[in-house]
Amino acid sequence: MSTRQASVHAKWIIGQVIGTKMKKTAKVRVTRLVLDPYLLKYYNKRKTYFAHDPLEQCTVGDVVLLKALPEKRSKHVNHELEEIVYKVGQVVDPLTGKRVAGKQYLEPLTESTEVSLTEKLEQLNITASTPPSVS
Amino acid sequence: MPMKGRFPIRRTLEYLQKGEVVFKKSVNIMTVNYNTHGDLSEGARKFVFFNIPQIQYKNPWVQIMMFKNMTPSPFLRFYLGKSFVLLFFNLFSILWYLLVLLLCLDDGEQVLVDVEGKDHKEIMNHVKTILGKSDKVLEAEALAKMELSNPANFGPKRYFLRECISEVEGQVPHPGFVPLPKEMTGKYRAKLAAASDE
Repeated sequence: MSTRQASVHAKWIIGQVIGTKMKKTAKVRVTRLVLDPYLLKYYNKRKTYFAHDPLEQCTVGDVVLLKALPEKRSKHVNHELEEIVYKVGQVVDPLTGKRVAGKQYLEPLTESTEVSLTEKLEQLNITASTPPSVS
Repeated sequence: MPMKGRFPIRRTLEYLQKGEVVFKKSVNIMTVNYNTHGDLSEGARKFVFFNIPQIQYKNPWVQIMMFKNMTPSPFLRFYLGKSFVLLFFNLFSILWYLLVLLLCLDDGEQVLVDVEGKDHKEIMNHVKTILGKSDKVLEAEALAKMELSNPANFGPKRYFLRECISEVEGQVPHPGFVPLPKEMTGKYRAKLAAASDE
């Protein structure tokens, strides 16, 4: 029997990390759209995969891209972590490259060349003087 | 008795089969990031509502994931990866192995498509031109599929249209359904032959 190139049907999958309690392994939930045969509507069907994460860089809630390993690493682990697509709390907008939270940008979009307010105050050089007495 | 829900036409086989986008073999994952409110995401929302079922129907092996309200601007992201060539033959030719390994460049490419402010039809056309199989390729594939099954052949119902020539209108039907005229039965012919011999 010739050697099999890949052990799983799914070569590249994307999913959300749901558990990191295992050493160097991340539990990833992958959702696929499955057509209900009667309603003819697509619903998400979940499946959990285990992925090898040698540097333990995943946290629960990350969206992660997995790649199928050429050979099974253990009984359940067939994939390895390829890339963390969206890190929880530190999502980077791929269009601009800036950090983003929901609908807001956390970093300013344009590099402002204006002088900051504190520097402006220093330039004005205001010294504390006795306030005029109110008669 | 109308169908339930808004735009229930989305849930008809005819609508699903009318999907135009058939992805190339290298596309594995499709990700849509969009926002639930805001005018700029309107096109993306309509795309998800109307066109995603069509795309998934035509590409059952592509994983499609939707993300809502993660980034301010909507976009599509495609994750490509060359499909593995199965090597179930010729274990002994090392050269062939090397050649195939070189061809299986599994480097996951990503394609980013910005859809801010675009209409859902524009998005569909754009996706079709960049990552979909062209009309010519689709026609050629349909033709090849038709060539495999020749309607002129007879055989089991599973593989062919008709099992016997008797099923064709205008041909002699099976005696099990309609009794043959007396002149065509074997025993009458045998009797005639015996009578003529004598």
